Amino acid sequence: MKEWFMKLSISKKLAMVAALLGIIALFIANPTDDNKIYVNAKEMALSTVKDQDKIEVMTLADWLIKEKSDFTLVDLRNEKEYSEYNIPTSVNIKMEDLLGSGLMRNQKIILYGNDDIAAAQAWFVLRSSNYKGVYILSGGLNEWKNQILFPKLALNATPEQTAAFEKVKQISAYFGGTPQLATAEQTTTSAASTIKPAIPAMPKLSTPAVGGKATKKKKEGC
Amino acid sequence: MMPYFKFDYFGFDFGLVVAFIIGIGFGFALERGGFGNARILAAQFYFYNMRVLKVMFTAIVTAMLGLFYFAWIGWLDLSLVYVGDTYILPQIVGGLMLGMGFVIGGYCPGTSVVSASTGRTDGFVYLLGIFFGIFVFGEMFPLLEGFYNSTPMGRVTLPEFLGISHGMVVFLVVAMALGAFAAAEWGEKKIAKKSGRGVE
Amino acid sequence: MIPKKEKSHEEKHFEPKPYSNPYVTGFGLGIVLLAAFLIMGRGLGASGAVSTLVAVGVDKIAPEHAANNNFYKEYLGDGTTNPLKDWLLFEVLGVVAGGFISGSLAHRIKRTTEKGPNVSVKTRLIYAFVGGTIMGFGAKMARGCTSGLALTGGSLLSLGGWAFMFAVFGGGYAAAYFVRRQWL
Repeated sequence: MKEWFMKLSISKKLAMVAALLGIIALFIANPTDDNKIYVNAKEMALSTVKDQDKIEVMTLADWLIKEKSDFTLVDLRNEKEYSEYNIPTSVNIKMEDLLGSGLMRNQKIILYGNDDIAAAQAWFVLRSSNYKGVYILSGGLNEWKNQILFPKLALNATPEQTAAFEKVKQISAYFGGTPQLATAEQTTTSAASTIKPAIPAMPKLSTPAVGGKATKKKKEGC
Repeated sequence: MMPYFKFDYFGFDFGLVVAFIIGIGFGFALERGGFGNARILAAQFYFYNMRVLKVMFTAIVTAMLGLFYFAWIGWLDLSLVYVGDTYILPQIVGGLMLGMGFVIGGYCPGTSVVSASTGRTDGFVYLLGIFFGIFVFGEMFPLLEGFYNSTPMGRVTLPEFLGISHGMVVFLVVAMALGAFAAAEWGEKKIAKKSGRGVE
Repeated sequence: MIPKKEKSHEEKHFEPKPYSNPYVTGFGLGIVLLAAFLIMGRGLGASGAVSTLVAVGVDKIAPEHAANNNFYKEYLGDGTTNPLKDWLLFEVLGVVAGGFISGSLAHRIKRTTEKGPNVSVKTRLIYAFVGGTIMGFGAKMARGCTSGLALTGGSLLSLGGWAFMFAVFGGGYAAAYFVRRQWL
């Protein structure tokens, strides 16, 4: 067999190899199966979400205000929750659709659910499938609500905390949040106020230009 | 994971160095194949030398098989390889024009560059023609824009369009290429015998 | 498969060497193309480089005119980078070098005009210019040329690439009869 092959002209050798690879391709059918991931058990045990894989909600808020668009924000919750409220610019992708949903392996992806759990799972799925820049939103949407939408100022706040809160109020306003008003005057004058403010309403979703990230790039074709 | 550039293994400027090196390989291969010579290229259209078909389809099959198997092994993320969008009508009309330009002028853009760099005056003049043609297209673009952007189909590949597996298309392309090669060899001999013209 | 050609006269040092086996050449070309895919995530091209040069030229002479034209604008970019720092342009510079290197090694560098025996040099050059003009126009209409669409799109199994490739051969064979005097 080998001798027979060696005797062929170079053109025929190339043709034989091409034919063989073509036939094998027929049985492989699809080179990339989007629903399978291969993980090494040891790697899996060692692979955990580390601090550098987390993005703080304040950082994210800052990026969104500055209209940074070098990342994709993925909301992992169900459709109903997503339609009620979502962080601006986020896209709704369910956990089971993560692979093959059009997310690119070289994209910076920030995942969030209500808390860290779903995001951490999704993080693992994507990392195991060779996605490079995957991050989770630390504390998820709950933390987003606590810090951005409905920030509270402790009654016995120090002046530094109060000053910081003024900044947070602006950020909160940007995202349509309702800061639990406890300004400096209020804390001094009505410190005894024990009436808990009613649970504030979630900000209404204005339909922002989600997914309308225009890529101003020269085309790569010829 | 590949493609390296898309995973930021190196920056844009180094990419230009890569472009130059890849270009050298491209130009070298074109010249080796005889594509710097208009007579050899034009012969394709009179059936007495099928080099264009042979070189082009061998290259396509080689790169296609490479992409398929690299993706299968898991070294390459195929979705990050740039595939131009399909605009079927302008591409067919443009293709017909290109074919006519090919047989009238004797080159295509890449081969005319090689032809000019190996001293052929006709290749150089042809290249000037391309400049002029693109300039005319650019000037007429406001008029052509509607047709240019018509029948958009997005990033569509044959497996998606035909609804069959990627491997099946690869197999069919290999089979078609090998069949075309066999026919070309047979036809060249036949025509050479009839006209007394050499294969070269 | 490929008949070995015997040179009828003595092979002198400066005699141009015969062109390589087309299948081996094609394989080499395929490897270059594959390298572009694997390293850069994009294929080869040629006409795009000319488009960039044309757009930059028009921009130099009539910047306002260029700015009002979507076609030129695409090649000029958004002004944040120099349009001449273009991947395809550097690739085509490489093609110039690669063609010259290969031609030198095989003693095929020659100041001449390639044409059939029955046509004058002047006629041939007119045909070359006209053909180039049609090709340039068609390449832009199709969004690519033989390298950028047929070769690159073909190996990526792009629908547009394959439709284009068949159209090129169709257009070529249809027009071949009318210009046969030039070549035969």
